[in-house]
Parts: sequence; structure tokens; C-alpha cells
Amino acid sequence: MPRTSDASLLNQEPYVKYRNIGMKFGDTEVMKGINFDILSGEKVAMIGPSGSGKTTLARMLMTLEKPTEGTIEIGGKLLWHRRANGKLVDANLKHLRQVRGQIGMVFQQYNLFPHMTILRNVMEAQVHVLGLTKKEAEDRARKILKKVGLEHKCDAYPAQLSGGQQQRVAMARAVVMKPKIMLFDEVTSALDPELVGEVLEVIREIAEEDEMAMLLITHEMAFARDIADRVVFMADGQIIEQGPPEQIFNYPQHQRTKNFLSRFSTEFH
Amino acid sequence: MWSWDFAISILPQLLQAMVVTIEATIVGFIVATVLGLFWTICRRSSIKPLKFAVVAIVEFVRSTPLLVQLYFIFFVFPTFGITLSPFSAGVLGLGLHYSTYLTEVFRTGIDSIPKGQWEASTALNLSKIKVWTHVIMPQAIPPIIPMLGNYFIVMFKETPLLSAISIVEMVQAAQIIGSNSFRYVEAFTDVGVIFLLLSYPASLLFQYTERRIQHRFDLSVKASKIEEDHYATNK
Ligand SMILES: Nc1ncnc2c1ncn2[C@@H]1O[C@H](COP(=O)(O)OP(=O)(O)OP(=O)(O)O)[C@@H](O)[C@H]1O
Ligand SMILES: [Mg+2]
Repeated sequence: MPRTSDASLLNQEPYVKYRNIGMKFGDTEVMKGINFDILSGEKVAMIGPSGSGKTTLARMLMTLEKPTEGTIEIGGKLLWHRRANGKLVDANLKHLRQVRGQIGMVFQQYNLFPHMTILRNVMEAQVHVLGLTKKEAEDRARKILKKVGLEHKCDAYPAQLSGGQQQRVAMARAVVMKPKIMLFDEVTSALDPELVGEVLEVIREIAEEDEMAMLLITHEMAFARDIADRVVFMADGQIIEQGPPEQIFNYPQHQRTKNFLSRFSTEFH
Repeated sequence: MWSWDFAISILPQLLQAMVVTIEATIVGFIVATVLGLFWTICRRSSIKPLKFAVVAIVEFVRSTPLLVQLYFIFFVFPTFGITLSPFSAGVLGLGLHYSTYLTEVFRTGIDSIPKGQWEASTALNLSKIKVWTHVIMPQAIPPIIPMLGNYFIVMFKETPLLSAISIVEMVQAAQIIGSNSFRYVEAFTDVGVIFLLLSYPASLLFQYTERRIQHRFDLSVKASKIEEDHYATNK
């Protein structure tokens, strides 16, 4: 059995627990029997070849994709299910909304609201979900936009921004909600190479300053090694190997991990 | 022989009837919009029986003539204890009939919203209502304004059917003038001109509104499309 995490070592109850997760799209089984934990505040980088199931795993936590098997717990609460008379039944929307308030996600395609200004993009959920006044929401939005270096773009529309700037807004919009865990799904993959750096810099800042846990799906190996507490390697819908970055990058145990990493080897020399 | 005097003298009477025509069009269109949106949302519902019921209703209403529906609402409903004034029955009939077209228009608009907008809304934990009113509809409506405007004008031109349930709209008024004076030419020519003078500017107005609204984030829609294509080709 692979080490699930450092949780047992630290004797700390994981914040997120995937248990025996299976996923089928139609008749195709893309993952099976996945157990996976994330601790409070832990920064986890997830790497692996295309189609290995990284996105699917993150989307399950964001309640965008329902696992066909198994359970996910977050902060001691079941995510997709609830207990009724000792049995597991599907959770309703109200329950999902309660639990997913702790989770934030940034997408590859930014997904900003194109009809709203940058400022409103960042204010919208604060007002409608957190119930803040417009004034409070605006103050917080301006503050966080300043932090990502975009305070001068408050009144612009997303289309007027570069990809890197849009992605920084998307991060501000998610972080301003103060989630306990943030999911980043290849947030730099759609960007022109020269814009990748500015976005990684913002992630690094969030990682250093914030207490929130992070699940960072990425192909930026050097970056993963730099900021992650733990690296998880996935292939074919399975977690093949995981551990501290030095261990995974310098002393991978499995052949598949070695093969995969050899493709990025130039990055380390 | 054409008489200018007569053609002008009947104008007050026809303009009075024109008010009825316009009222029926506007109220009918509001009914069609509300019902159309309601059908659209029901058809997206995860409750299967509701979905199928609505699909059946929409299909049924769309494939039967408006005239039959008007007769049914006005003459048959009373036998079930629902008696409506001619105007109420008329706008209900018009609204119901056109709602089945508008639901398709709304669907087109909603389907054109990228999946990522729904997903971002979920990730921000917005409630269903807020997602519809603040994220989806504001993006779905502007591109379909020309189609909505088109149906508005088509509906306007269908109002003469309301004369079948004793509403004195313009054509019915002209009919009455004609049979009293035997001067049909002036009466119907006036009506034709009034229809033209109303529907042509209306269509220009819709085009203008559409351009105005679309202009503001036309750029953004185009830009995000380009971004997506860029990604698709690079993947
Ligand atoms: N909606 C879907 N319908 C059918 N199959 C899907 C769907 N989403 C994902 N899959 C399949 O599930 C598997 C895992 O996909 P996933 O997107 O999670 O991989 P990934 O590790 O994120 O890959 P990449 O690095 O390319 O983003 C793939 O085989 C994919 O084809
Ligand atoms: Mg992916």
C-alpha cells in the first residue's frame, strides 16, 4: 500500500479525505479505488501525464463531477453524501452549497465573467455569497487586486486584459472568498510562455502568505518542487507515488515516475 | 374613387383601434417572454416528468393554429368556469403561442454560454438564482435581441386574428368602417400604412438597441472565443 500522506506521521486529521474513489464516464472507468488526503494548510502539487485523472480528481472536490464510487470528506463533513439512518444518501444542493463554501478553484481558461468589470468580477460572490455590503466587498476587492498588481484595471473588462492578467484576476476572485482549500488546475497552460511567470509569482505569494491548503495541478516541475510540501504523481487513474518534492524529483521509486520525469529533466540541469 | 377626405376622417377611429393593437402586442409579448423563460428553465430541469410535460405542451401549442387556440381560450374555457374578457383571452392566446417560439430563442442564447461560466459560478458558490440573473441571462440576452425583436414584429402583424374573438383592433375597425360606408379602399389602405409606419421604425429600433448593447462586450466575447480557439489548436 502506498503511503497516503504524511498525516499519520504528524498525527493530524486530514482536512480532505478521498476514500475509495471510483469514476466512470459512461462505460469507461477512468479511476478506481483512490485514497487521497490533504492536510489543513498543506500545499500539494499533482503531476502526471495527460489523461491520468488529475483534473477529474480536482473537479470532484469542487462538486463539478460526482464520483461514481466512494466518498469525499472535507472538514469532517461528507461532500457528496449525507448520512440518513446510518446509510449514505446523495446530498442535496443545499448541502453541497454549505460544504463547497470552503473550496475555491482557478481554471485553465480563467472563466471570468465577460460582462462585468474586473472589480465586479471580484465583488460579485462576496456580495451574493458571503453577504458583505457593496462597500466592504469593494474595499476587499481593491485590496486584493492591488496585491495581484491590477488595481489600475478595476474598471476594465476581462477582454481588455492579457491572459496572464485575466488569470491573476481569477485568482483574486477565488482568494477573496477565503476558502480553506484552493484548487489550481493547470492555470498557466493556456498562457503564452512569457506570461507564465507573473501568474506563478502570484501563486507563490498566496502560498507563502496564506494558511489555506492548495492542490496545484501543474506541468511546471521546477515550480512544483519549489512550493509544494508534497508531490503526488498520478498515471492511468491511480496515484503511483507521492512524497516530499526532493524524494519524488531526485529519488523516484517507480519506473513510471522516472519515465515521466525524464521528459522534464532539462529543467533540473 | 379614392377620397383623401374620407381617408383622413376615419383616422381617429383607426388610431383608437391602433392603441388596442399596440396594447395587445406589448402585453402579449410580456406574457410570451415570461412563459417562454419558464418553459426554457423547466426544459433544463433535472426533474424528468416536469421536463417531458413541458416539452409536450410546447410541441402541442406550436403545432396547432393560433386561431384555434384563441377560440379555445375564449369559447371553451368558460365551460370549465374560466371566463376571460376578450382582451385577456387574446393576450393569453398570443402570449402562449409565441412563448413556444421564444423558448427556442432563449435556449439558443443560453446554450451559447460556455460551460466555464457555469463552472466558475459553482466554484464561487453562487446560488442558482444569482447564476441565472447575474451570470447567464446578462450574457444570453444581448445576442438574441434581434430574434426577439423579429418575433415581436411578427406578433404585431398577427394581431388581426384577435378580431375573431370580438376585439376591435385595427383590421376589425377598418372592416366595420368599410361595411358601414362601402369605402373599403381607404379603410384598409390606412390600416396598411399604419402597420408599415409602426413596424418599420420598430425594426430599426431593435437593430439599434442590439448594436448598442452588443457593442459593450462584443469585444470581450470575441476575445474569449479567440482565446479558446487558440487553446484548442494548441492542446
Ligand atoms: N466529461 C468526460 N467524459 C468522458 N471522459 C472524460 C471526461 N472527463 C475526463 N474524461 C476522461 O477521464 C480521463 C481523465 O481525464 P482528466 O481530464 O482528469 O485527466 P488529466 O490528468 O487532467 O489530463 P490533462 O493533463 O490532459 O489535463 C481521461 O481519459 C479523459 O478522457
Ligand atoms: Mg487536466
